[in-house]
Amino acid sequence: MDIAVETRALRRVYRSRNQEVVALDGVDLRVARGQRYGVLGPNGAGKTTMIKILVTLLLPSSGEARVDGLDVVHQFRELRHRIAMVSGGENVGFGMLKVKEQLWMFSQFYGMPSAPSKRRIGELLERLGLSEAADRRVSALSSGMRQKMNLIRGLITNPRILFLDEPTVALDVGAARDVRDEVRRWMAEDPTRTVILTTHYMMEADELCDRVAIVNRGRIVAEGTPAELKQRVQQNAIVDLQLSPGGRLLDALRAVEGVAAASVTEQDGLDRFSLQLSNDAALGGVMRVVEGSGRQIRGVQKREPTLEDAFVKLVGRGMAEEEQA
Amino acid sequence: MSTAIRQWRGFKAATRLGWQISSNWTQPLVFVLYSVLRPLSAAFILVVMYRVISGGGANTAAYLAFLVSGVAFWSFVQYGFAGLSNGIAEDRGEYKMLKYVYTSPAHFYVYLLGRGLAQLASAVASALIVLIVATIALGLPINPLHINYPLLLAASSLALLAVIGLAMAFGVLLLQARDAHGYGELGSGVLYVISGAIFPISVLPGILATIASLSPLVYWMESIRRSLLGSQAIRMFPSLSDGDVLLRLLVTTAATLILAHLVFSWADRTARQKGLIDMETNW
Repeated sequence: MDIAVETRALRRVYRSRNQEVVALDGVDLRVARGQRYGVLGPNGAGKTTMIKILVTLLLPSSGEARVDGLDVVHQFRELRHRIAMVSGGENVGFGMLKVKEQLWMFSQFYGMPSAPSKRRIGELLERLGLSEAADRRVSALSSGMRQKMNLIRGLITNPRILFLDEPTVALDVGAARDVRDEVRRWMAEDPTRTVILTTHYMMEADELCDRVAIVNRGRIVAEGTPAELKQRVQQNAIVDLQLSPGGRLLDALRAVEGVAAASVTEQDGLDRFSLQLSNDAALGGVMRVVEGSGRQIRGVQKREPTLEDAFVKLVGRGMAEEEQA
Repeated sequence: MSTAIRQWRGFKAATRLGWQISSNWTQPLVFVLYSVLRPLSAAFILVVMYRVISGGGANTAAYLAFLVSGVAFWSFVQYGFAGLSNGIAEDRGEYKMLKYVYTSPAHFYVYLLGRGLAQLASAVASALIVLIVATIALGLPINPLHINYPLLLAASSLALLAVIGLAMAFGVLLLQARDAHGYGELGSGVLYVISGAIFPISVLPGILATIASLSPLVYWMESIRRSLLGSQAIRMFPSLSDGDVLLRLLVTTAATLILAHLVFSWADRTARQKGLIDMETNW
């Protein structure tokens, strides 16, 4: 297998005067060339730290990381020609520059000849619907347009490996879809290109990635195709319960016999409990607990498993709950 | 494609970026007025202060020439040092683009040099404006036909290398601070005191005078005055020939560059170790 990214026992510890935070705790990762590889996990799981190390922005505390066969610590100069990074959720850019000017400057930082880079910028602006904004100042762009511009910055240099760190965070549905579509199209242009994408959107990882690593508290807890990961919860029945708001109920539901895992998220003012039931009979016990809580049932739905369910089964609780822990 | 061509492209783009950032904050006419009035007012405030304090004594003209030539060329340090080191903090804190520049193949040195070059271009304009206006308005003994241009160019080239080296090292060092805005002026302010720009270093307290004598900026100022004013220059080092002053400038510049490289390398590695390149700041 042709490996694009490989890490061995990668560890990163942030130290301050008062505390020590282990962001990555011995991560072993192998990403084959040509894949769209997702790193999925809650905020604070270590995803961004991993990306920062792989793009030579941050040094690991120990362990080894190679990108395109090059060591990120010692061969970072050669490596930087072959990679690009785009982060989401940032209000970044040289505000006084025009969009096309900022993009051109970055093509120059990568040593590209000026004329072809201008052509490439024009094509990408067109593809992402930003042509009309080409002469607008960066400071005048909306956050969605700015994120598309950032994606173009990552694409103009034709990197062999593109790192996307939460590329659709805080974007509206349309802009997020445009970004995902462009990533697919860019990958389809050349099968040797590789994308490493971090996200905490389960749907995005499921829809976009060939393989996914689920990361929690600095460790990879599972790895596989989205289908393989969902297979892990296939033997369970997945039931969503929409309940009126009320007191704490999650632990009581987890204690019901036959409930393999449970998580809760707030949705439209209601609590949505996702339950993984090892047998249908468990539903009776669940209903009795709900009745006893005094909450009203607003909806019950049996559905196919998702990556979120896989995460809950692997980690023991939902992603939102894990972020608050 | 050769590495040199790639780096040259990055350098040109960084220079353009630096120019855009330093000039694009207002209308062109306002920028030109600002560029002319800023150095003139800085120089003439000092001239007026000196005239009031001295009461127009016998040696006034000679000292005014000392003062004005020092202030005029000080703009290289002010613009170059503060502009370049503040630029690093701006790229990280205000524009949040430092991490993307840093992880690009453009060498960080090359980028910073280009980013700061626009500031140095402003400094050239500033120095020329102050010298021309002051020579006419104050009757300074500067004759363009009698200037020792080789000495002026050699000394200024060496001093610029030292200033750029110091500014880069200081700028990367400032990455350690969460609130690094404006520290560039602080750094150039310290250099101002020990550079002999507005007074001879002999008036400094002992330890400061010794430190100043190790700075290339003092020998640069001395060379500038000798090249511009010839025998009428007040000399900080009367026992040294022009060649001796230039040699001292060469040696102190070399030492400064070595020190700056060591500091830059340490600060750069520390920034990567601690994750400071994209640190959230209090900008």
